Amino acid sequence: MKIRWDKRVPLLVLAAAMVCVYMASAQEYPVATKTLKNGMKILVQTDHSIPNVALYTFYKVGSRNERPGTTGLSHFFEHMMFNGAKKYGPGELDKAMETNGGSNNAYTTRNVTVYQDWFPRTALELIFDIESDRIRDLSFDPKKIESERGVVASERRSSVDGQNEGVLDEQLWATAFIAHPYQWPVVGWMSDIEHWTIEDLKHHFEMGYSPSNATMVIAGDVTPEEVFALAEKYLEPIPAHAPPLPVTTTEPAQLGERRLVVHKPAELPLLMIAYHVPQTNNPDFYALNVLRSILFQGESSRMYQRLVDKDQIALDVESESDNAFDPTLLLILAQPKQGVDPQACEKAIYEEVERLQTAPVADRELEKAKNFRLAEFYRQVRTINGRANTLGTYEVFFGDYRKLFDAAKNYSGVTKEDVQRVAKQYFGANNRTVATLLPESGEKGKP
Amino acid sequence: MRMRFVGRDEGLLNMSSKREKQIPHPAKCAGIRDDKSGNTGILRCWPAPASSELTGCRHSRVSGFALVVKFALAVALLGSASAARAQKLQMPPHEKVVLKNGLTVLLLEKHSVPMVSVAGIVKAGGLADPAGQEGLASTTAGLLRKGTKTRTAQQFAGDIDFIGGTFEADAGADYSSFAAEFLSKDTVKGLELVSDAVLHATFPQAEVDKLLAQSVDGVKAAKDSARDVIFEYYQGYLYNGKGYGRPTGGDENSLKKIQRDAIAKFYDTYYTPGNTILAVAGDFNSAEMKKKIEEVFGGWPAKVAPPVKEEATGPMKGKKLLLVNKADATQTYFVIGNVGVSATDPDRVAIEVVNTVFGSRFTSMLNEALRVESGLTYGATSFFSLQKEPGPFAMFSFTRNETTGKAIDLTLEVLKNLHMNGLTAEQLSSAKSYLKGQFPPMIETSGQLARLIVRYEFLGLDDNEVNQFERRIDGVTGEMAKQAIARHFPLENLTFVLVGKSSEIAPMAKKYTEKQDAKEISAPGFWTGAK
Repeated sequence: MKIRWDKRVPLLVLAAAMVCVYMASAQEYPVATKTLKNGMKILVQTDHSIPNVALYTFYKVGSRNERPGTTGLSHFFEHMMFNGAKKYGPGELDKAMETNGGSNNAYTTRNVTVYQDWFPRTALELIFDIESDRIRDLSFDPKKIESERGVVASERRSSVDGQNEGVLDEQLWATAFIAHPYQWPVVGWMSDIEHWTIEDLKHHFEMGYSPSNATMVIAGDVTPEEVFALAEKYLEPIPAHAPPLPVTTTEPAQLGERRLVVHKPAELPLLMIAYHVPQTNNPDFYALNVLRSILFQGESSRMYQRLVDKDQIALDVESESDNAFDPTLLLILAQPKQGVDPQACEKAIYEEVERLQTAPVADRELEKAKNFRLAEFYRQVRTINGRANTLGTYEVFFGDYRKLFDAAKNYSGVTKEDVQRVAKQYFGANNRTVATLLPESGEKGKP
Repeated sequence: MRMRFVGRDEGLLNMSSKREKQIPHPAKCAGIRDDKSGNTGILRCWPAPASSELTGCRHSRVSGFALVVKFALAVALLGSASAARAQKLQMPPHEKVVLKNGLTVLLLEKHSVPMVSVAGIVKAGGLADPAGQEGLASTTAGLLRKGTKTRTAQQFAGDIDFIGGTFEADAGADYSSFAAEFLSKDTVKGLELVSDAVLHATFPQAEVDKLLAQSVDGVKAAKDSARDVIFEYYQGYLYNGKGYGRPTGGDENSLKKIQRDAIAKFYDTYYTPGNTILAVAGDFNSAEMKKKIEEVFGGWPAKVAPPVKEEATGPMKGKKLLLVNKADATQTYFVIGNVGVSATDPDRVAIEVVNTVFGSRFTSMLNEALRVESGLTYGATSFFSLQKEPGPFAMFSFTRNETTGKAIDLTLEVLKNLHMNGLTAEQLSSAKSYLKGQFPPMIETSGQLARLIVRYEFLGLDDNEVNQFERRIDGVTGEMAKQAIARHFPLENLTFVLVGKSSEIAPMAKKYTEKQDAKEISAPGFWTGAK
């Protein structure tokens, strides 16, 4: 068996480039990789410190691969991946896993669908048996489809209807994108949830679940040899087929500010502002993250200091941006205090953005942002679970897991000029969508 | 709720959000994104991934219920597999030192990443709040970093942020807690910041006013999400506003009554070295760390703190139901239960085994019935909140308005089946494997270990919680499980709390209990038991 050992990357050496003198207990995270004959890529990161294993399978299929009428299908399909295949029938997957000390979960995004298993090393072969069974021979029981439809509807009521930010977030994406499939919610519109068919599911399986469209990452108490042997036995015989068709729609440039308002019963208003930014593998990824650190990370960040601490108009202000294959959104979320007009928060946010556009950041702010990112790196890699997820994320979104180990270097290369440039380039008024939730009281909707 | 609080679970005791601390993981997993992980996600969700730093139900700011349950079971086995690594899995060695001023210090070396984690407990929490000033302990903790003898709040934030570190503090019912984390190269600075906050807080009036105003709005914002507040109502109603029934984070009324003087007095009374336990775990040399701790904490003047009076509450007799009206709700959230057991209850291991089968894992009886078989909900679960005195036992789920009665009936039926049928040998064995298999990632990081040892020290538990865990789990017999069911899974004496749209669900709710109470979610407070 051929194992390709990637160059061992001494993380601390890279980190040192960034913080100059830091050379404490240098450590390495060697990763062994193998691509099966059917195209599935396997990454193994050995760590014997606990007798457990984290196994992540990333499929490059998400709601961006859907069509109007069947929105939310990727996520619904994700649920169905637990509801029975040829060998492990409905309910048997979970039962087998838990009886052997394992647990599982999964998540779906606009870009990927990710399956997670956490188990003691003694269950390793069982997990491969289970994973291969459902990748090869998933079955669709009409009764299970109906009950799972109810589960997903409940999930939607809980995560969208029951959460003000869920409602606002959904409206915001639907407004910021007019062409690209990022416009619909991952969970899907309720009317689509009610109408998916078994044929839709079968088509989705055909479309998204070729082994060649998957990357498996295993971290923990295993050796590459045993993992690759199991992969050859259980996964390699599964034939590859065509991957999803490329998403060819490009979102046209936004030509002016878009605004939307949601009126609903609520105790407090809510504000979200979105700017179009490039996809994850764009070189500006690092400068944008440094910018986000300066503006939003920690209580010393500019936005916290301004809105929460000094002006006292918000309870919290933060940003998010998801990993994405296509140009996406950077969101700013603010929770105004009671009695505060969300527009007051909006104004303060724009002033802080403008300050970043017009004057270079301080040296200390830049260094702080980089220190944040270094600490974040260690928080990500300190568990087998974190390592499996992070290695897979870099492999999938950057095309190479080794980019994880370059991250510190790439952040250290970000200059004040870079921060100012991306602030000007992406944070213009024409490029933004502003969503506001205004409270109504009671059922009649009286303000 | 993803928006308001960006804190990571790791490194926190029971903090993150004050308002979120009562939420068990299943509900929280729904469609939540985590900025840290870069995942946007709708999660299938269930058992919070054992080490949920990055993904999975990472939104489960575990604390309150879920956290304490985890701690209490906490058990384990460090070490590794493979023949050569067959040694027994143990709690990593750690050392206990008591400084001259009475401060208890626990040191645990762990060199896997160059970070240091600090977890501290001050033995006075919400139970020490004067009546009507609920939230005092929590506010005091929240203000520790908001001004010290040598730093303004802004300077403190600047200094901790500059090293990429974290410092958070909050209070639960039993104790106040603080936690910090930083890179080991910044140990001197990090420890100095921790000691500055804990030893030298000054509570500037402007910061007091600011935090209290934020906390009041925080309660209101939380009420926009039923799942964020249902356990506040449940605890309040179950204990009738006494003991663990008082909101540790305060409510819209109590927070307004808190004055700076009361905060300073609480701090002065309870924040003393003899009343504090400090755990430090991570990448350091113990001998050197001892010296550093002596340097920054040794000068803290000794002082005797009065013990906080806690009264154990037994299970409640009879049935009662509280309906909290949320007029725009499309689904009803409900909790059913009674007072459970303490973290040191001799039956705790048997309870854990039973509850694994009954309500805590994905294939549990409750989740099978309400989610897997019927599609009524995204999740159903049960848990025991293990605290110093008996905390609540709760069964929890949510479903659309029209199926509320069906879901509650089914929950009660599953409970009845547990009593009638008990656990099969197969279920017993499966639960044991599950608990043993899921444990090691709970003690994987220095942050987890620091929080664990400091809590054991507080509760008077020892390393056998970990070292003997497997043996204790394996020792649970069918008979012990049967007794645990009879004693600790109440069938008749039950408290119900429903948060939902009254106009649609009130008629259905009538059949469960004679005693019924109602409240508007927008009315200030949770349940104070004043009536």
